[in-house]
Amino acid sequence: MKKLLTLVLALVLCMSMFTASADVEKPEKITIFIDGTVVTEPNGQAQFEAKWEELTGIDLEIIQPDHDAYYDVLQQQIASGDWPDVLILSSTYYAAYANEGVLWDMTEAWENSATKNSGRMKNESVIDGLKINGRLYGFADGIGGGCVTYVKKAWLDAVNMEAPTNWEEYAAMCDAFVNNDPDGDGVKDTYALTAAGFIGTEAPYINYLPEFYQDAYPSFYMNAEGKWVDGFSEPAMKAALERLAEGYAKGWIDPTTLTNGTKDCRNKFYDDTTGVFTYWAGTWATNLKNNLISNNRDPELVPLAPLAGAPGYFDRTPPVWAITSTCENPEGVFTWFIDTILDGGDIQFLWTYGVENVHWSRKAETVLGVEYAEGQFHMAENLETPGTAYTKNHSDPVSTLAYFADGYYTDEFIDPVTVMIQPENVASSNLFAANSRAAWLVPSTDVMSTYNGDLTTLKNELIAKVAMGEMTYDEAMAEYAKQGQAWSDMIVESLNAAK
Amino acid sequence: MSNAVKVQPRKKPLLPRIKNYAGFYIMALAVLAFLVIFHYLPMFGIAYSFTKYTIIKPPVWVGLKNFERLFGMPNFWSAFSNTIQLSVIKLLLTTGFSVILSLLLNEMNNIWGKKLSQTIIYLPHFMSWVVTASVFQLILSPTGQGLVNSILMNLGIIDKGIYFLGSSATWQGAYYVINIWHDTGWGTIIFMATLTGIDPGIYEAASIDGAGRWKKMWYITLPSLANTIITVLILNLAKIMNLFESVFVLQNDAVMDVSQVLQTYVYYQTFNSGGIPDYGYTTAIGLFRSMVGLFLMLVCNYASKKVRGRGIV
Amino acid sequence: MEATNTNIKPRKKPFKISVFPIVNGILFVIICLVILIPIWKVLVDSFDLTTGYGMKLWPDNFGLEGYQTVLTNPSLVTPLKNSVITTVCGTLLGLTLSTLGAYVLIQWDMPGRGLFAGLLMFTMIFSGGMIPSYIVMRNLGLTNTLLGVILLPAINVYNLVLMRNFFEGIPTSLFESATLDGCTPFKIFYKIVLPLSKAALASIGLMFAVSYWNDYTNYKLYITKANLYNFQMKLRSMMMGSNLPTAIGSATENTVQNAAVIVAILPFMILYPFLQKYFVKGINIGAVKE
Repeated sequence: MKKLLTLVLALVLCMSMFTASADVEKPEKITIFIDGTVVTEPNGQAQFEAKWEELTGIDLEIIQPDHDAYYDVLQQQIASGDWPDVLILSSTYYAAYANEGVLWDMTEAWENSATKNSGRMKNESVIDGLKINGRLYGFADGIGGGCVTYVKKAWLDAVNMEAPTNWEEYAAMCDAFVNNDPDGDGVKDTYALTAAGFIGTEAPYINYLPEFYQDAYPSFYMNAEGKWVDGFSEPAMKAALERLAEGYAKGWIDPTTLTNGTKDCRNKFYDDTTGVFTYWAGTWATNLKNNLISNNRDPELVPLAPLAGAPGYFDRTPPVWAITSTCENPEGVFTWFIDTILDGGDIQFLWTYGVENVHWSRKAETVLGVEYAEGQFHMAENLETPGTAYTKNHSDPVSTLAYFADGYYTDEFIDPVTVMIQPENVASSNLFAANSRAAWLVPSTDVMSTYNGDLTTLKNELIAKVAMGEMTYDEAMAEYAKQGQAWSDMIVESLNAAK
Repeated sequence: MSNAVKVQPRKKPLLPRIKNYAGFYIMALAVLAFLVIFHYLPMFGIAYSFTKYTIIKPPVWVGLKNFERLFGMPNFWSAFSNTIQLSVIKLLLTTGFSVILSLLLNEMNNIWGKKLSQTIIYLPHFMSWVVTASVFQLILSPTGQGLVNSILMNLGIIDKGIYFLGSSATWQGAYYVINIWHDTGWGTIIFMATLTGIDPGIYEAASIDGAGRWKKMWYITLPSLANTIITVLILNLAKIMNLFESVFVLQNDAVMDVSQVLQTYVYYQTFNSGGIPDYGYTTAIGLFRSMVGLFLMLVCNYASKKVRGRGIV
Repeated sequence: MEATNTNIKPRKKPFKISVFPIVNGILFVIICLVILIPIWKVLVDSFDLTTGYGMKLWPDNFGLEGYQTVLTNPSLVTPLKNSVITTVCGTLLGLTLSTLGAYVLIQWDMPGRGLFAGLLMFTMIFSGGMIPSYIVMRNLGLTNTLLGVILLPAINVYNLVLMRNFFEGIPTSLFESATLDGCTPFKIFYKIVLPLSKAALASIGLMFAVSYWNDYTNYKLYITKANLYNFQMKLRSMMMGSNLPTAIGSATENTVQNAAVIVAILPFMILYPFLQKYFVKGINIGAVKE
């Protein structure tokens, strides 16, 4: 039976290869629906559109709602029947829309795509991770990204320590950061770290406090045996909560962690209230550095490898490009739109850096006080927010899934990454890439949508109370057994049944 | 115009009476046109309450299932009673303080002082809730950075900072205080405008009769505001179940028992479901909120009729 | 009048006159200070190039760069223009509909008045929801137009009922005598009702103006073209800027955000003094009567 199936599959694959290689009709016009991750209108979207049209010879229509309202507007458009050809979707919407049959199945198209077969792919597993029951409905041009822990080098020096490699060293560092006056102002006014709440609101939940949670995961995940389990009642959670309680009681964790917003956490890091900060790898490493400089603080940060025994950082499921099922010529749209995003040439360059002399330039000029020679690549000043420079267009040059084609960059036209991307960005990105694991894409079930809201609220409340010392772990678990266990069991059952 | 000779115009037959009001019907028509286009045309959406509708596929009729799901939510009643409690107390407090502020502003004779005070007390209305929340989280912080706690500690009233927004015992109180800060000043606009309509002659007459400041305030100013106060209260009752943003930005994991309101509850339920929102369910919740608003309004309208002899509209 | 002249003395009792205004004045100084503290925090941060968490009395590192970024931005001109157009047109339209509706509502004997009131109140409590509203707006061709964001919020039952509340204060004897003089309803409306309701028009007008100026929801739901965005949308996107990949957080990220919060309040601070004269006590119905 299995053999037959593989045979059939192989046959289908061969046939699809033939049909795909048979001439795909080039679309005349493509309508795309995008969020704020592509250059906005005040930032030169018209020039971007014109350049893309010039490179492909296709009329591109861009619909870009306000970034915050993207999914509201998307729902309205879908409901009113105005479906675009291509749209950007977050992982949750991607999975749900794929299940509802809104998205065109691009499995075969991807298998035969120029991108996949180009030999330039850095990390094909990201695309494989987007498959739902073996079928692919979306394409990502970069990794999802995630957080790494940054430690202020100046603080480590002030307390005579090296970057910690295990929990004991980490704990000793936190203790020193609180008690040994790492900022050197003679006042005991520092905390080791802070976060926006003891638990995050979005998957993968624990990404802002990885040293404390380590291998614990309070939500549902698939274990090594391929079964869904509720991580909250797993033994790892006990150790995690005890670490949190210890950290809070000893003053390592900022006492207002419960009510902090993300911006508060950043500001506390900038003004030397805290010395350890778990935040996004990549571009943010540069942002953190710049903000520390403008605050007259030492900007050097050490990205931390995961502590001994702790699994890596979490890599989120990336947002995807998908083609709608009502698209008249999905093969054509795939070939001419999706498959060109990482074409290794001019179009990939356009998606990565934008338009010459709008978003980047090689002219001799001075941008934001920095002088550039003729031929030297640099990003231009931001049109919408003068005083800042562009960093990229849609695709991140560091976390992209494909390299540029051999020979695209020459001695004349060198790879901007080598001159433009700051070393701290590369360092944190590389550290993240080497130490991350993919987050779970948890399916939705009816039971889940009925009970998980209450269950998550309960879990978060218990975590906060144990961390703040208002409850012991055992009391919390007793409470959990009384209120949440039944919901948890039902959800686990539904998840495993849905598989 | 043969009707004109009739002695009791109130008992005119319907048609001539309508004719008398012809001009008013034209005015009403203009308002109704907007009402129909922007409010009544979309009302077909209420029918989604009885369907499962994920936007993509056509809605499927599910009867009362959405309501069963809503009422079956484990913490539905606690969220429901929190909503009523928080919004009613908030409404009474902000309206009450608005009235007091208006009365005091009204007594202010220094015209510059009055203008400046008015401008300042309106300002908080222009701060978005997100900004308001972040500033108050700092002011109410339990550490030395928190203004309130450091004042209390310096005065020796407490020796350890109170985590106002972080503990169930104090959260609601802090929530009311922040709401009073945010909404009271703006609320005075309507009362101040009402006060300008009071005939100064009445005050003069009262002074002549020997009434003092407080007497005048109590017997003249306040009664002239009564109508507006009642109108404002009842109008706001209709929206009582809509409480969301101010709570959402101020709540946190440790105070859910006192801060979870219906709208935030539904938000978390959808957000944590791992799926896309079911528009039918969302609409059903909206319909339920409307029914509660309708009920409260009818009750108050009835009470208003009993007490004052007429309803609010 | 002459007879009461001798009795006017009680008003000038020295202790009553002197104590209350002082207490009241001090009270308002305190109230204003308390109200200003949180705003002061934002104001100080908007001038401070050093990013900090705590409260400061004065900026550590004073600079106008935050305001420079927000105000000298060339792409603010169009949003500002859109805001002014929608606010002016919307407020006028909103006031027209509110006063007309309120005027109809005080015709207590008008046949069908109850129905009219009921139809109004119903929309205050029930609504069709986001998606049906969008479909109606789209079918009317009102999405992606400024007309749409002007027309939609113009009918506001809350403001209409408040307006009716003011109109009620006008003595019915005025209407009766005007009707006897042969005035048409329209004439009474603009000869008597409107002139007597300046404070009401100013306050309800202010509420309309502020809601149009601050409108964000309707823009984000019905407009997907950035050249139709208003000032508020623009400020928001500046405040959110650093979370999007197209802009890096500049050295003054925090300063810019706080400056944007303050700039959002500015138009009101400029406009309000002009309105204030309508709030002054003493628009005397008796005076107009004569």
